[in-house]
Order: sequence, then C-alpha cells, then structure tokens
Amino acid sequence: MATLEKVDVVIVGAGASGSLYASVLAKAGKKVVLLEAGPDWQMTDLISSDFWGRRVKPSGVPFLFEGKNPYGYAYQGGWGVGGAALHYFANFPRYLPTDFKVKSEHGKGLDWPINYADIAPYYDKVAAEIGVSGDAKAEEIWRPKGEAYPMPPMKTFRNGQVWLKGLEANGIRMVPAAVGMNSVDFKGRPACIYDGWCHVGCPIGALANPVITYLADARKAGAEVRALSTVTRILTDASGAKVTGVEYYDAKKEKQVQEASVVILAAWAAQNPRLMINSSTDKHPKGLANSSGVLGKYMMAHYASGTWAMFDEDVEPHMGTVGAQYMSYERYDKNSKKAKGAFGSTYIVAGTALKTSDLGGFANARLDLFGPKLAEFMQRAKRGITRLTAFGEEMPNIENRVELADGKDEFGMPLAKIVHSFSDEAIALWNANFDEGIEIAKATGAKEYWSARGPMPTIHLFGGTIMGEGAGTSVTNSYGQTHDIPNLWVAGPGLFPTEGASNPTYTIFAVSQRGAENLVSKWGSVAG
Amino acid sequence: MSDIERRALIKGAGLSALAFSVGGAEILLSPRQAHAQNIPFRTLTPEQVETLEALGETLVPGAKQAGISNFVDQQLSIPHGEALLEARILNVRPPYANFYRAALSAVDKASQAKNGDKKFAQLSADERYGFVDLMRQNKIEGWQGPAGPFVYLILRSDAVDVVYGTMEGYAALGIPYMPHIAPEKRW
Ligand SMILES: Cc1cc2nc3c(=O)[nH]c(=O)nc-3n(C[C@H](O)[C@H](O)[C@H](O)COP(=O)(O)OP(=O)(O)OC[C@H]3O[C@@H](n4cnc5c(N)ncnc54)[C@H](O)[C@@H]3O)c2cc1C
Ligand code: SF4
Repeated sequence: MATLEKVDVVIVGAGASGSLYASVLAKAGKKVVLLEAGPDWQMTDLISSDFWGRRVKPSGVPFLFEGKNPYGYAYQGGWGVGGAALHYFANFPRYLPTDFKVKSEHGKGLDWPINYADIAPYYDKVAAEIGVSGDAKAEEIWRPKGEAYPMPPMKTFRNGQVWLKGLEANGIRMVPAAVGMNSVDFKGRPACIYDGWCHVGCPIGALANPVITYLADARKAGAEVRALSTVTRILTDASGAKVTGVEYYDAKKEKQVQEASVVILAAWAAQNPRLMINSSTDKHPKGLANSSGVLGKYMMAHYASGTWAMFDEDVEPHMGTVGAQYMSYERYDKNSKKAKGAFGSTYIVAGTALKTSDLGGFANARLDLFGPKLAEFMQRAKRGITRLTAFGEEMPNIENRVELADGKDEFGMPLAKIVHSFSDEAIALWNANFDEGIEIAKATGAKEYWSARGPMPTIHLFGGTIMGEGAGTSVTNSYGQTHDIPNLWVAGPGLFPTEGASNPTYTIFAVSQRGAENLVSKWGSVAG
Repeated sequence: MSDIERRALIKGAGLSALAFSVGGAEILLSPRQAHAQNIPFRTLTPEQVETLEALGETLVPGAKQAGISNFVDQQLSIPHGEALLEARILNVRPPYANFYRAALSAVDKASQAKNGDKKFAQLSADERYGFVDLMRQNKIEGWQGPAGPFVYLILRSDAVDVVYGTMEGYAALGIPYMPHIAPEKRW
C-alpha cells in the first residue's frame, strides 16, 4: 500500500456531480484528483446499439435489494467517467418552488433548508455553461420568471405531436421540453441529428454528458482522473474532527491511500452512505457524519405510469431524441389526485424516439406477447407506436434505507442493502396516472391504447445523505458540507430531502454548482 | 485509455463483432455467422444449447438462426464487466452463467414433470407455446429455480436482441438504423 502525495481535493466518482465539482475547483486553482470505479470512456466507445450500450452500465453491483419495491439499480446507475449521465436522456425540467417546502405546505415529507430562489440563479448558470434547449417563457406559466434558455426548443415529430389533442382535451397544457441537448450548434458542440441513440451515449456531443462538458473543463484546468479506482473507505484523523483522505484499490487492484484536504463523495445516492457507514471509527461509531442517525435513511425513487398508443398513421417511432419533446407541470400540484387517495407531484412528458430492444424498446411495449404474435405486433408497431409518460413522486420514509449487509465485494468491503417500498399514496398516484393516461390516449383518436403496467418501477434515486437545518435531523447543510466533519462533502441526489417529480439532474447540477462555489469561497476555513 | 483499462474492456475497444474461438484462434463474427458456421460452444452444454434454442425460437421466431445460443454462450465466457446481456442491467448477480444454468434447468425440470419426462426441446410447437405462456405468468406448479416471469423476461430480451436489435433486424423490419458509430459486422 502506498500513501500518495496530498492533494487539495479528492472526489469519489467522476459522474454528473463529481465532474461539476472538479470543474469548479480545478478552475479555482485547486489540485483535484477524481477516483472513478469504472473505465475512462471515450466518446468513440459510445456505439449506437442497445446491447453494446449495456457495457457502459454497472455489472454485479455491490448491493442487495429488499422491500416491496426493490430498487432497479443497474439500469439506473452509471459506471465509468460520466456516471449515469454518460447515457442519460437529458430531460432537464427544474424543480418548482413547492418541492422545497412540502412539509410546511402539506404537513408531510420534509422541507429543504433552502428555497427555489436559492437555486434559480444556478439553473441559469448551468444552462449557460453546458447548454439547454427549450422555451423558458412558456414554462413560466407554472414557475417564477428566469433567464431564457441559451438555445431554442428542439424539433418535434409525429410521435410527440399525436398526443397533443388528447392532452388538450384533458386540460393539460404542454410546452417544449427543456433538455440538455443542442437544438443548434453550441460552444463547438454540434446540433442534434435526431437519430434517437441518446440512451447508449451520444458520441457527437450534441447531448451534454459530463465527459464533454464539466469533466473536459476540469481536465483542461489540470484535474486528474484515475479510472478503475474504487474507493472503499474515507479516512479520519485521530480526533475524528476531520477527514484526511481515502483508501482505494487502483487499476491493478492494489490498495492506495490518497490524502487530501477535502473529500467530496459523488458516487451516487446509495454508494455515498455505504462508504460513510463503512468508514466508522470509535469517534463515529454509526458511520461518518452520522450524529443525526439519518445517514442512509430516506431513500426515494420516482416511478412512471406509461401509456402506449398505436396509430394508423406512420408516427416514425424511431425519430427524435430519447429525451422528451413536450413537457407539462399541469399535474404538479401535490394534491391534484387527492380524490383518488394519492399525494405527490406528477410530471408529464410526450414524444420520444423508440428503438426495438432493451428495456425501453418497443418490443417490451407488450411484454405478454411472444412467438408469432410478437412478430405480428412488431410489424404494426414499427410505424404506429408511441408513448406518453407521467413521472410520480414518493414522500421520504425513514424505513427506506441503505445499510451494510452480509457478504463482501471483490475488495473486501461489506455489501449494502437498499430497502425500498412505495407508500399507499404513491401507489395511488401511480394508478391514477395510468387512468389519466388512458383518458388522454382515448381522446387522441389512437387505434389502440393500453397502460404500460408491470411491477411498479423505481426510477432515479434520492436521499441517504439528506441536507437540512442542523446535525439533529440531517447529514449535510444546503451546500453538501457534512454537519459533523467540515472537510467532508457530499454531492448528488442523495442530498435531496424530497424528490419532486421532475427528472433530477438539472437540479443536481444546480445544487452542485452552488455547493462548489461555496466551498471555494470558504476554502481557508474548510480545508484540513 | 491505458493499456490495463483496454484489456479490462473489450479486446480492441470499439470493435463490435464478438470474439469466437475457432481452432485456437479468435475471430470476430456476429452470432448469426457463428451459428451458421457451427462455432463450438465454450460454456453451455449441448443439452443447454438445445433448450435455449427451443426457448428462443418459441419466444421470438428466428432467434435460433440469429444465433441466440452462440450469443449467450460467448457472453457467458467473458468477464462479466464486458457483458452485453440484459441480465446485466436487471441486477442479476455475476457470474451470469449461474443464472442461465439455473433457468434452463428449471425449464427442463418443469417440462419433464408436466409432460411425461419430455424436456422442453422435445415438446411440440403448441406445447412449447403453452408452457411459456404459463411460465411468464408464474403459473407452473412446482417450479424450482429463478422466478418463471423473470426467466421469461431475460430470455425474451436475449431473443429480441438477436432478432430485432441488430442492424440486420432493423433492415428486416424496414426501420432506418441511423447509427453514429455502427456496430461492426452489422451486429
Ligand atoms: C437510462 C437513464 C436515463 C436517465 N435520464 C435522465 C434524464 O432524462 N434526466 C435526468 O435529470 N436524469 C436522468 N438520469 C439520471 C442521471 O443520470 C443521474 O441522476 C445522475 O447521473 C446522478 O449523478 P451522480 O453524480 O449522483 O451519479 P453518477 O452520475 O451516476 O456518478 C457516480 C459515479 O460514481 C462512481 N462510483 C461509484 N462508487 C464508487 C467508488 N466506490 N469509488 C469510485 N467511484 C465510484 C460510479 O462508477 C459513477 O461513475 C438517467 C439515468 C439513466 C441511467
Ligand atoms: S438524437 Fe441527438 S442527442 Fe440523441 S444521440 Fe442522436 S444526435 Fe445525440
């Protein structure tokens, strides 16, 4: 085991949040090392194929899955530089003011320690930095005013347009979807060509993945990325008052110690608490920065109610991007489906490119079909099929948690389990959104329509290291700095005390930008 | 990418045909070509291949010719971090061969129990269809092994991959493939 020369910052995970932190800190002149468990993917590794696309995803994850709605980790996760955002769909809806104050407004869930207004300037900053296409003015029917997006909306296609009549008939206004993709050339990256391969990675850089945005900037500013380097433990000094670095296994599977003045955990919502719990010491017996006892608690996931429709006309299902064409916050009011026993926001999107295979492919639109019936379905679907999706919110529940489990991973680190069950109110919202999807489809004039029912899906991941007012009830402050150990920071959706219904990454970026700038501004008092 | 990383990934990163061994040498082929050329299997037994091909063909017509067994066999013989199988993203614990062995054995055992000792591949087309229909709904009594609906999901995905997921599959359906970076050998 070698102890490597001390650096200013070590970042665990070179995905969405880690790359942003690296960029801000390296540009501020800090010596930054990113340790990334997966490979150092190049844009040329992003082959346009559903099954080749799977090799950029995790394999054999160090988690066990329990609860009534076990978490679908590997499909949702990332592995290698860019993290899950190497192959995300880049839907960039922001959270709305109500998401930050659920407890105050409804007496359930939790409040964030900050408001929408605290985050809003960072949404604008992120958009200007990496590029967002959309129509901010149009969105302002639901949210406070802000700056225009730097690019106009993306093109739409028949597979999106055919939904508009049905949505309008149900009183649902749609606006151009905000996406982290280029509708026009942007900062040397080309405009999208609408071939629908975003979900296996866009090798031309029309989609803002971290590898060509924040991580490229970080590298240019001198940050070092060590790929195939898996962190197993965060190290503290004898007093337990500060962290001193991390222990990791390098590409040759040799153990190393990287000392650093500040450690930032950006290994996604379940890995961060796993690492913190595994780093327990006599000064931190329940895990690092866990005086609140809520480390690993309040894990949350989104779920989706999809509606399929088959049209007689050719809607060109293969065309467009895998992100959305239209979006709506019309059902975002957390009580909009109260009459059905539901609670939580719903975010609706329409229009997406569909490929044939993989989980999201249209061969899975009728999972019950096989044999000649599937072959006949594929012939019809290739021209006529399209999907509408409603994302739903669940409330934080302390029973949904990450904790260490029996068994060890290849580095001898204990496995962890993610225990996750949806509440009755979330299940009611899921069902109500299916019902509404059918009403919408009916009003489109589609030839056939049906709900994409199956086991309740778990999408995105939140919680485990939630932010809050103080060390009594939360793990970090609103910047991601842990309450207990000032030079240990956490980044990513694990900080979110509630999850809203919007896709998370635009907010992950905004919260990370705010945190990284704060760290730079108070560096002298934080660095250990 | 460093040499070590390259080795940790796919030999000749960026190549998209699969590496099959023929007479000690590695050649790049699509599963359909591997099937047509009777490339020897590395991991699956002849009985397992027979069951997998019969299942694949029942799930998605054309899967046998498209090389489902060569695809799965080749995938099970490489490190799990390189695998392209749907099992990878559905949280199956590596080595993935364990899952496939258990799944194929569960299918044959259940088939034998239900059909007078006949393995799945020995059933008529109608019997196979009926069996799979019950398996997907978890309605086979005495089933032992990974859950029937999950076996259905994974093997159906493999069959869909080789029949509909390739460039050839798109061409047969008449959908433009439009790749940024095309898989080699149209795979
Ligand atoms: C298919 C798919 C579609 C998506 N679509 C959207 C979308 O449209 N809009 C949206 O907002 N979001 C979307 N997301 C979600 C988005 O990708 C994530 O929210 C985001 O990437 C999370 O950021 P993160 O920094 O927390 O984690 P990640 O970006 O996943 O990065 C974490 C990194 O940490 C590494 N790591 C883990 N453990 C260790 C360790 N012990 N040592 C070192 N490194 C480690 C991992 O390998 C990984 O690279 C999608 C995700 C997927 C999978
Ligand atoms: S559709 Fe656009 S963003 Fe998606 S992969 Fe193609 S060019 Fe990239």
